[in-house]
Amino acid sequence: MAILEVRDVTSGYGEVQILWGASLSLEEGKLTSLVGTNGAGKTTLLRTIMGLNKPWSGSIWFEGKDISQLPPYAKAEMGLVLVPEGRQLFTDMTVAENLEMGATPKRAIPNYKGNLERVYELLPRLKERREQKAGTLSGGEQQMLAVARGIMAEPKALLIDELSLGLAPVLVLGLFETLNQLKELGITLLLVEQNVQMALAVSDFGYVLSQGRMELEGSSRELAKNEHVRSAYLGL
Amino acid sequence: MQQINLLLTSLPDGILLGFVYGLAAMGLTLIWGVMNVINLSHGPIIALGMFGTFFIFIRMGINPYIGLLFIAILGLIMGVFIYFVAVHRVINAPHLSSLLATFSVNMIIIGLGTAALTTSPYNVDFNVGSFRLGSTTILGTRLVAAVIAILFTGGLYIFLYRTRPGKFIRAVTNNRAAAELMGIPSTRILALSFGLGTMLAAVSGALIATFFPFNILSGGGYELKSFVIGVLGGLGNPIGALVGGLILGVLEGIIPAFMETSWVPVIEFGLFVVILLVRPQGIFGAKK
Repeated sequence: MAILEVRDVTSGYGEVQILWGASLSLEEGKLTSLVGTNGAGKTTLLRTIMGLNKPWSGSIWFEGKDISQLPPYAKAEMGLVLVPEGRQLFTDMTVAENLEMGATPKRAIPNYKGNLERVYELLPRLKERREQKAGTLSGGEQQMLAVARGIMAEPKALLIDELSLGLAPVLVLGLFETLNQLKELGITLLLVEQNVQMALAVSDFGYVLSQGRMELEGSSRELAKNEHVRSAYLGL
Repeated sequence: MQQINLLLTSLPDGILLGFVYGLAAMGLTLIWGVMNVINLSHGPIIALGMFGTFFIFIRMGINPYIGLLFIAILGLIMGVFIYFVAVHRVINAPHLSSLLATFSVNMIIIGLGTAALTTSPYNVDFNVGSFRLGSTTILGTRLVAAVIAILFTGGLYIFLYRTRPGKFIRAVTNNRAAAELMGIPSTRILALSFGLGTMLAAVSGALIATFFPFNILSGGGYELKSFVIGVLGGLGNPIGALVGGLILGVLEGIIPAFMETSWVPVIEFGLFVVILLVRPQGIFGAKK
């Protein structure tokens, strides 16, 4: 069953249209990847799903409800959470406070302690640095914190924008490992990546976005074998 | 020798007054820090706080320090109301729009206030005694006002760092879009912040009314002082505001010992310009 459905959405900034009718659906409990080149509209699509940009046309459905016009905080409250591009941490607040802010939705409050333990277990570096200001962390640690803050919201669906951007390959592998653990916990994941090879390797299903439209979709294994994907995105 | 005596007399008064200036500035600086809005209705709200003390004490006969609680609550409600009526629709617009919006609120309050209360001076004859410190006499009302200002500052800190809504305010200050994505209803948090800033202004006015005469225009001077203090301490920095208030208070204590009192604003605003030129982020560094 699809937990999140995007139907034929168009959107953009001011006069500039970025999305020209993008559709996507997330299977519950699966890891889906959305890949595409820089400027394809991946971040705009995520912003539109979350309500940071309004859809110009088309609709967005979460657990069978039309959420196209809801503000971002109401979506987080329902269990649809975004780990935004560029981390967007609360840099003047401590690591622990960032995690506490992640646990804002009412559904996340009763399990706050349990979630915190789980996050510290998954990413022990954060526990060591919990009293440090988020702005003083290294790039890798900040990315961990951004993901951890998303987990604290106890999401039903977690959307992650550019997990690997600017990080050393070793760190990226570690974070992808974390994603698999999240999937085992039953969280539906959407991974938006420029690193096409990595993304297709860890995901169950994949979408290729190009110039604001879905160019291809299919199981990640098939996409990785697809001639067009191999030549255009994997450089093979 | 005579100057030193004069200094010893005026300095303690200046310091005590400085805490109250700091409290007023904190209201201005909190709003600026959270939403980058310069609240030009700050002065008239201070004046309304003064009249709050007048009505509660003179008309209703309630102790002004108990009255503070009512003034604080009314200030909070009024701030939330002003936010939704005048500020919210221009919150993402260029600064000029929010300046004009809050300036209109300023004019409305002054206009209504002048019509209803005239501009002749009011005086609250309230006394909690005085005591001698060396060769100086310190008025009880000023000491209590300073203590209350410190208590409110401490309360604001505990609120911002220890409570959930307070942490939401800091999160929205830090990154509004991210806060919204985490499930924090940022509009309500902005309204709350504007309410708190207004509350601090009203409370500082209520305290000032216990020792200075006032009318509906009296807030203007304190609003200007709040700007100077905000620039001294760095806009968006509450502790900086308190320290900036103290600096201003000390200046007002020192200057009259050496020159005419009328030089005080000249030196204060000269300092204001110099700091803007040399260190625009404030002496203690601002938020960003």
